[in-house]
Amino acid sequence: MTVFRAFLKVLNQCRIPIILYTVLLVGFGGFQMQTNESSMGFTASRPEISIINRDENAGITRGLLSYMAENCEIREMKEEELDDALFYRDVSYILYIPENYGKDFLEGRETELEVKSTGDYHSSYAEMLLSRYLKTARAYVKYAEDGEELAAAVSGILEKQVSVEVTSKLDTGNLEKAAFYYNFLNYSLLAGCVYVICLVLSSFREEKIRRRTAVSSMDYRKMNRLLLLSNGLFAFALWLLYVILSFVLVGKVMFTAQGLLYVANSFVFMVCSLAIAFLIGNLVGNKNALNGIVNVVALGSSFLCGAFVPAEWLPDSVLKAAHILPSYWYIQTNEFLKTMEDVSFTSVRPILVNIGVILGFTLIFIVAADIISKKREKFSGR
Amino acid sequence: MFWHNFKYTVKTLLGDKMLIFWTFAFPVILGAFFYMAFSDIEDSEKLHVIDIAVVENTGFRESEMWKESLEALSDEASGEQVFCTKYVSEEEAKRLLSEKEIAGYFMLADGEPQVTVASDGINETVLKYVVEEIYQTEEIVRNTAERRIQQGEMPTAEFYEQLSKEVMNLVDSENGGIRDISGANLSYTIIEFYTLIAMTCLYGGILGMVAVNQNLANMSSKGKRVSVSPVGKSRMILSSVLAGYVIQMVGVALLFAFTIFVLHVDYGNHLPLIVLLALCGGLAGLSVGIAIAVLVKSGDNVKTGIVISVTMAGCFLSGMMGITMKYLVDKNIPLLNLLNPANMITDGLYALYYYDTFDRYWQNAASLLVFAFSMILFSVLGLRRQKYDSI
Repeated sequence: MTVFRAFLKVLNQCRIPIILYTVLLVGFGGFQMQTNESSMGFTASRPEISIINRDENAGITRGLLSYMAENCEIREMKEEELDDALFYRDVSYILYIPENYGKDFLEGRETELEVKSTGDYHSSYAEMLLSRYLKTARAYVKYAEDGEELAAAVSGILEKQVSVEVTSKLDTGNLEKAAFYYNFLNYSLLAGCVYVICLVLSSFREEKIRRRTAVSSMDYRKMNRLLLLSNGLFAFALWLLYVILSFVLVGKVMFTAQGLLYVANSFVFMVCSLAIAFLIGNLVGNKNALNGIVNVVALGSSFLCGAFVPAEWLPDSVLKAAHILPSYWYIQTNEFLKTMEDVSFTSVRPILVNIGVILGFTLIFIVAADIISKKREKFSGR
Repeated sequence: MFWHNFKYTVKTLLGDKMLIFWTFAFPVILGAFFYMAFSDIEDSEKLHVIDIAVVENTGFRESEMWKESLEALSDEASGEQVFCTKYVSEEEAKRLLSEKEIAGYFMLADGEPQVTVASDGINETVLKYVVEEIYQTEEIVRNTAERRIQQGEMPTAEFYEQLSKEVMNLVDSENGGIRDISGANLSYTIIEFYTLIAMTCLYGGILGMVAVNQNLANMSSKGKRVSVSPVGKSRMILSSVLAGYVIQMVGVALLFAFTIFVLHVDYGNHLPLIVLLALCGGLAGLSVGIAIAVLVKSGDNVKTGIVISVTMAGCFLSGMMGITMKYLVDKNIPLLNLLNPANMITDGLYALYYYDTFDRYWQNAASLLVFAFSMILFSVLGLRRQKYDSI
């Protein structure tokens, strides 16, 4: 109990960083949560665009505007705000319709629309939509008497849709949210565990404290066991808190088989984080260096393994290098779960492999921590 | 005395390993992480060639229109390839889709086009869109033919062939009538490196703080000794602060060198202006450190904590943890970012990179100087006539 009480005292010292990691997790996890409701049918992607119309809202111009509004999210904003919006991807495409555009188009004069585009796939798609409208209009311009007739003919053609069948029954949107949350958990859990456990270990290893416990009636081995237990308890509590938060933030998809696999996966990773923390705690004695080490370890493995930026967007070389980090295997499982259709032995096998690798890492870390602490004890002259 | 104190302040500051880690090494490490994580992100957001399958049934084989159009879209040599198409049986297509090797497959069922996909998404949307485009082109041909026949043309085979060629030409034509006027500098990940520079400049505040603390009687015994020595306070503090500034600038220069030569970050063509902004930014960071050292009456650790939290909060608001944050604040609470030194640095560099005009850059540089001098003014007011009868 004495050991546990001392542990709680140290824990109280580092409540601010723990709160910070949790706030970050909830903040960034929750940030992604505001996406649309899931639906079973096919929902086409809608690029976000802005249109500055200097022409009158009639004829072919009106037709174009309503076609774009049907297929894109139109953002209304002041013209001087548009450049910033484009840079920060608030809109991915801006369309400027010049004066007399409709009239010139109808009379077969050379017309030109100015656009600004971010060059990403949303903007490419917006441009496809725009150019389809223009091409269709050009095919009919010969036959149309006036702008309204032309617009009507074009929209008559563009109304023809192709039926789309969606095979997946997965709630992809919500599973993605869960994956995002659990990927970010990599940072919070690792940083939290390493910070607290290193601080505890170094506090107990301080020269004066160590001497005092050495002369006390407390058995050295018993104290170590209790320390291990309280650290494990802390890691478990932190993990439990994050899991409960995930149920609150992500919602009912967490109750599916995939959701439970997310939880199980994070539990294994929690055990691994514990081992990492013990290893670092044994390597580093200096309390002041702790903050830097936590940041480098937690941020590093989060950046390199795809906890912040999706792994599919990382360069291949980085991902290859990331294989030597346990976070990589943890995050790969999360990514895999995102699109796993059914839970059976064959479909779960890659997950079991990943979990096995993480457990292997855990074992290595524990053995390494053990060796180091033994060496250290010898040198400190016990 | 000025240079004597300067020399020894430099030595003490450089001797503090934690200080050097946070001001020199940490930004470089973080920069390396940013580089590894973000270097491919913009390329992944471009539209790539989409893997699809086409069910090769009798209906499809007989339809010249569909066959030719899809072939043209899958042509690697054309430079405008949209799809990489596999021609397979329906079962094979289903298998490919379930194994996520294709985004979706296309099938002509009784002449009606049909698209099957696994889920929503941009590639799936493009597939649907392109199939629709071909479908609609077919409709245009039929439609125009009717009109022409009504106008009195003879519906011969030649007539149809020519008409469909005409329409196809129109549809396949280049994006006529659209002119792209967007600027060349649209890479948003560069903002991350700008916030990194801002962070380094502001972390320099810790150096300023430590340097000033050495001269404060209520902070250290060295401060007490300095206070009773017959040397003017202003001279001591000025030389200490100058030492902090020099070290801070070395750190910033190191970061610049690392990002430019190792990570190949493109800062645009205005390097002198960027250096000028970094100098102003460093001064602003230093002034925050000095102000906190002077105005906050508490221990070293609390002061360091305040400098770090102010810096991180500022960097967060200026987009370090996701550039959307900077945009949201700029748009909705502009005042917050007008007062945020991290954002002045980030925004100044951004203005230099993205805009052709310099107004916004100079505005930010001026705000940094105003900010720095007001902080220094507060510090001077707090420091002057500070006397202790006993301590």
